Amino acid sequence: MTPEAQEGNIFTSSLDFLVNWGRKNSLWPFPYGTACCAIEFMSTETARYDLSRIGSEYVRFTPRQSDVLLVAGTITYKQAPILKRIYEQMAEPRWVIAMGACACSGGFYDCYCTVPGIDHIIPVDVYIGGCPPRPESFFDAMFDLQKKVEDESYMKQRAERLKEQIEDIKRKSKECREDLVLRKNEACEMVSNTVRSKVNDVLDVFPFKKGR
Amino acid sequence: MNFFETLFPVLETKFNVEKDASAHWDHSVIAKASVLRDLITFLKNDESSKMEMLLDIVGIDYLGFQDYEGPRFAVEYVLKSISRPGNRVRVKVFVSEQDLEVPTISDLYPIANWQEREVYDQYGIIFTGHPDLRRILNHVEFEGHPLRKDYPAHRRQWLSTNDFLLPALEKRLESKGYKVVERSKEVLPNEDEYLTGSIQE
Amino acid sequence: MKVIAPNGDKLNLMPLNIGPSHGATHGCLRYFCALDGESIVATVGEIGYLHRGFEKMAERGTWQQVVPYTDRLNYCSAMMNNIAYCRAVENMFQLELPERTKILRVIISELSRMADHCICVAAAAQDLGSTTGFFYLFDSREMMMVIWEKLTGARLTNSYARIGGLYRDVYEGFEEDVLAVCKQAEKNLSDVHACFDRNRIFLDRTVGIGAMKPERAIQWGWTGPCLRATGVASDLRKDEPYYDYETYDWNVVTGTAGDVYDRLMVRLAEIEESIKIVRQALKRLTPGPIDIMDPRIRVPSHALAYQDIESLIGRFKSVYEGVRVPAGEYYYGFEAANGELGFTLVSDGSGKPWRVKVRPPCFTQFAAFHELVEGSMLTDSVATLSSINIIAGELDR
Ligand code: SF4
Repeated sequence: MTPEAQEGNIFTSSLDFLVNWGRKNSLWPFPYGTACCAIEFMSTETARYDLSRIGSEYVRFTPRQSDVLLVAGTITYKQAPILKRIYEQMAEPRWVIAMGACACSGGFYDCYCTVPGIDHIIPVDVYIGGCPPRPESFFDAMFDLQKKVEDESYMKQRAERLKEQIEDIKRKSKECREDLVLRKNEACEMVSNTVRSKVNDVLDVFPFKKGR
Repeated sequence: MNFFETLFPVLETKFNVEKDASAHWDHSVIAKASVLRDLITFLKNDESSKMEMLLDIVGIDYLGFQDYEGPRFAVEYVLKSISRPGNRVRVKVFVSEQDLEVPTISDLYPIANWQEREVYDQYGIIFTGHPDLRRILNHVEFEGHPLRKDYPAHRRQWLSTNDFLLPALEKRLESKGYKVVERSKEVLPNEDEYLTGSIQE
Repeated sequence: MKVIAPNGDKLNLMPLNIGPSHGATHGCLRYFCALDGESIVATVGEIGYLHRGFEKMAERGTWQQVVPYTDRLNYCSAMMNNIAYCRAVENMFQLELPERTKILRVIISELSRMADHCICVAAAAQDLGSTTGFFYLFDSREMMMVIWEKLTGARLTNSYARIGGLYRDVYEGFEEDVLAVCKQAEKNLSDVHACFDRNRIFLDRTVGIGAMKPERAIQWGWTGPCLRATGVASDLRKDEPYYDYETYDWNVVTGTAGDVYDRLMVRLAEIEESIKIVRQALKRLTPGPIDIMDPRIRVPSHALAYQDIESLIGRFKSVYEGVRVPAGEYYYGFEAANGELGFTLVSDGSGKPWRVKVRPPCFTQFAAFHELVEGSMLTDSVATLSSINIIAGELDR
């Protein structure tokens, strides 16, 4: 360090270090809580576990002000577009934690309405197992995330790292779409014709849907 | 319980109902769809029963049920009395696969509105006269009825965009006496967005 | 959107969507309202965002395997759902449980009820801006969590009840822990009352808001604290007593106006009643067996399975084939924290349930939501929503 710098109480460091230090100690979560895991997240916030120890107590309910998207709970197909949209609304840098078995893999709801893991829709940084995960494991995930934040260099590297995952998602959603088209024909046959015409009558809310 | 013993003969003569043999632990009657509305109205208002509360509407699919012959579906109405605590009765209506129609009771009990929508959603049973028979638990693009026994549990169906509640809201406004003159443009999804939605490749 | 009101006025309404991911919609639900300025003209609710297919999943496993799914119905009071489901199945067997199990189930149910009410009021307090109330109420709930952890190994989704018994007997020191929780809960309650009772903001935002008439509430099928807040003293524990609830000394709490204030206060008062019941039940707790002795219904313990062949076979059978519930149909309603939790069970005599239908108490409450909020302010809808305690897991199943 040069003497001038010492006099002015200046220290030098890499910008990455400084930015990351700031980021990692105030990761504001957006709790996308849908089910039981959200209750455990509420416990994490209360006095016994105290999330403010790592600077994350400031829970924001708007995606535009938060850094971490915390998906706590089961994601169903009905919710998937919403989750996707919320993820898109968040500003970079953004991280995603999948909390609980349901968010990671669909959990033990293996049926027609649950998404088998949110990584079909959005990229995920940290997964937490458990049904529900204990608050301790939630902290563990936050520490992991902090480590991840620490060695990141701005946006570039991050975009690189997510590229793979995003491509994966694109592939998956394409597969699902093809699957859907295949199965739709099957499903049509299944519902007997009389019912089908009635169903169409009732469902006919959107005029443009007919063309599909 | 003796309330049912006094009630049943009345129902039998008036509405030609039968006792449900499968109800060993509580009281259930089997009725024809044609008398359902009269029966429920009677149960709700008559002094001898006073079933003021409709607890639940249950759909049942008997496809492949052991030793069972008869119509494929059944709809069950669970009723309970508040003024005479402890009095409960279930009313069961069989619905055949060709017919699939039951009269609605959503004007008798407001809660039946949603419960019938649920049965419709899960089993595809049409409640004639229902004001707004839409899916309730599954999304708008869902095909088929998931709780039917022939719907494989693993058949997943993606939704491309968010549901759209504006028609329902307009209906509600109209039922309150408002007249919609002009729809708001910004909340109408355009066709492109509707088909691709926010899950884009 | 431009509309013409019934009185001929021309209005320009703004459609506003709230939820499914919104701070005030705990869990996942959505309502779409048409606003005139700040007051709600019309609103429609939409549910199903957490429809996880409980009923389909239940048809795939054995009767016993449904128990973990019931945990996740109302996850704020998981054990009560277990008990409700097990009791429904036991009623089909016409089983008589050992005395100790009954008392333990009463204690567990009441503790769960306390926890559930704590969460509801705490979340409502949070929504009204009182974080202090939130922390006070969560304090006693965290103590209960410690007990549950010691008892079952899980914090939230416990799966403690079994058909024909309980997972295991209580640990040593359970009684003292429960008494300590009761004491702490009483203290927290008085703190919370000190926060709320004469708090101008709280009163202004709750009294007279979202009121419901008793007749209308009955038509809408409301049960539990929300119905009692309107003044109808309907409680299954008194009306159709089970587990000897009639022998305990407690009162049914009722409100008068059926508004947000009454609903929250009825819940707080019910915590007090629950503490009373728990204290009395603890006094009655005597040592004894907790499971019924029938290898066809309750899985024999490990110790027995290693000793005699019959218990071993019983273990195998109940794991592979499941409990064989007699064929028939049955509806059973249980007074859960939120209202009447009903199970409609259809059995074809095999080891798997043919149909399990849940009657979720908050379904009926949310169905009436538009009646509660139409005509009031947008902010009041938040207070109303948190007071009717919508648990998405139960609402959508
Ligand atoms: S992982 Fe378990 S606790 Fe978490 S949302 Fe899923 S079912 Fe509920």
